[in-house]
Amino acid sequence: MAISTSTATANLNKITPRFDGIVVIVGAFGSGKTEVAVNLAALSREAGSEVWIADLDLVNPYFRTREARVPLTRMGIGVVLPPEIYLHADLPILTPLVAGAIRRTEGLVILDVGGNDVGATVLASLADAFHASSLEKRPFHVLFVMNPFRPFTGTLSGCMKMRKSIERASKLAITGIIGNANLMEETRAEDIEEGYRFVRAFSEKSRLPLEMITIPYPLLKQTDITHFSCPVLSIQRQLVPPWKKPAGFHFDRKSDS
Amino acid sequence: MSKVLMKGNEAIGEAAIRAGCLNYFAYPITPQSEVAEYLSRRMPEVGGVFLQGESEVAVSYMIFGAAACGERVFTTSSSPGISLMSEGVSYIVGAQCPAVFVNIMRGGPGLGGILPSQADYLQATKGIGHGDCRLLVMVPASVQEAVEMVMMAFPLAEKYRNPVMILGDGLIGQMMEPVTFPDHLKTPPSNKNDWATNGMDTRKSKTRNLVKSLYLDPEALNAHNLRLKAKYDRMREEEIRYETYNTDTDYQILIVSYGTMSRVCQSAIDTLKAKKIEVALVRPQNVFPFPEQAVLEAASKSSCRHVLSVEMSMGQMIEDIQRSVQGKRPVHWYGKCGGDVPTPEEVMEAVEKLIPA
Repeated sequence: MAISTSTATANLNKITPRFDGIVVIVGAFGSGKTEVAVNLAALSREAGSEVWIADLDLVNPYFRTREARVPLTRMGIGVVLPPEIYLHADLPILTPLVAGAIRRTEGLVILDVGGNDVGATVLASLADAFHASSLEKRPFHVLFVMNPFRPFTGTLSGCMKMRKSIERASKLAITGIIGNANLMEETRAEDIEEGYRFVRAFSEKSRLPLEMITIPYPLLKQTDITHFSCPVLSIQRQLVPPWKKPAGFHFDRKSDS
Repeated sequence: MSKVLMKGNEAIGEAAIRAGCLNYFAYPITPQSEVAEYLSRRMPEVGGVFLQGESEVAVSYMIFGAAACGERVFTTSSSPGISLMSEGVSYIVGAQCPAVFVNIMRGGPGLGGILPSQADYLQATKGIGHGDCRLLVMVPASVQEAVEMVMMAFPLAEKYRNPVMILGDGLIGQMMEPVTFPDHLKTPPSNKNDWATNGMDTRKSKTRNLVKSLYLDPEALNAHNLRLKAKYDRMREEEIRYETYNTDTDYQILIVSYGTMSRVCQSAIDTLKAKKIEVALVRPQNVFPFPEQAVLEAASKSSCRHVLSVEMSMGQMIEDIQRSVQGKRPVHWYGKCGGDVPTPEEVMEAVEKLIPA
């Protein structure tokens, strides 16, 4: 886990996503919410924010935030999980610590929610905590992660349908989009461009702001990021099958070259 | 068609549709429920049917009914669910109907756990149902291979008029990988008119077809079992499938491993190579029939000292390996079956223990 303490280049700084308050990460099954959530948490922590991340994935049995808890905790990020003995239980456990995290009055709180409307349903039960947070005038974002290379969200109408079903189930309005176009290790630069065009089109159609797009870390250096209209989050894969090594978190572009 | 990023369970569902299967009956269970989730959306789009049974026992007989009518049909489940289906599987084998069963294995016995496992090896290859009952068992190691195997499984089931099982561990169902699907599946036409109860109008013959597994006459039942045995023997002749890795070296150790576990082994083999330790791998792609000859040949290489079975079970594949190796080399086991998949480092350690210092 090489964690660099030096700052990012000035160029990268301008396009680095910055969030405060509550960030709720929703999206279709397998759209990459967890990788986005843990990478955003790490980046924000690296930039000096107090960060908490809550694993609200009650529907997926494997590849959840809880599997990245060690590197996250090591960075000083608060990881809110079900009790240890239930970590691998096939049960929808929502720890009261989540509501506690939402009521925090400072720092960044990221909620990594399960996929589709089914996964987003849990948010409706946190309405009281969200209300308390709004009374504190905490910034509140509900960000919709989109990967057009996934089934059911490869068309604008498919994404619109997904957006509506998640909003209905969560009883929350989505406030912005995260473009997460990727084919994991097989992602090519042209896939990033194609994905960017797609989420821009969705942004126009839905009138939701494009808050950021993601680029796999290995592709970052070869991509001209200056023409993107939004910040870029580089994704360093943490949730990998056992024959691969998690990427760890690296933040200094220069030190890696 | 270009690449899409899919979870193994979704890809298995899509592959079945592309194989022309429009009938899917199932009951949800972790870690395979995404197949039902996916097909509950996709089947209506393509004019197919997804019906959730009231239990896995019911599902197995829904499969029997559809298969007996000559329909392409499949189900997916995970270990405890497959146990419940085993009676129906035996009836389908006995009645010589084609069908595809997918088992995305979780830890056992009993309820076990929801994490990956390969502990249904013996069940799938030797004890899937009562009677002289065998399935062709395919073991994918990647999401892409799962797609290819599902698409092969339907024509193979029809060729043998016998169920085919796709035996994947939990990771195969849950992990995401980029996949491509062939645009058109060119499978041989089904032979169903020869045997299925699909109505008299659809064929020229005046003889009605009868689908059954009941033979009260001892001679008739014996003859029936001889016919089944002939099919299993034919599978042993024609359906051996495996891959080898690093076998062109002077390896001291031969690993036999399948499914996602074999990918961990490959990773370990690559690292050991850098340490000047050569290890080879035979990866069965079908485990019934088992690639006995390939394992024997690889184990017989003069440089090879030991054979190591690496599996997410307590050594269920060892007997097949020992039978293949015929006592020529000692056969060892390394594995875990609590849900934690062994890491490449743990496999390396198990290999290094076998090498004299």
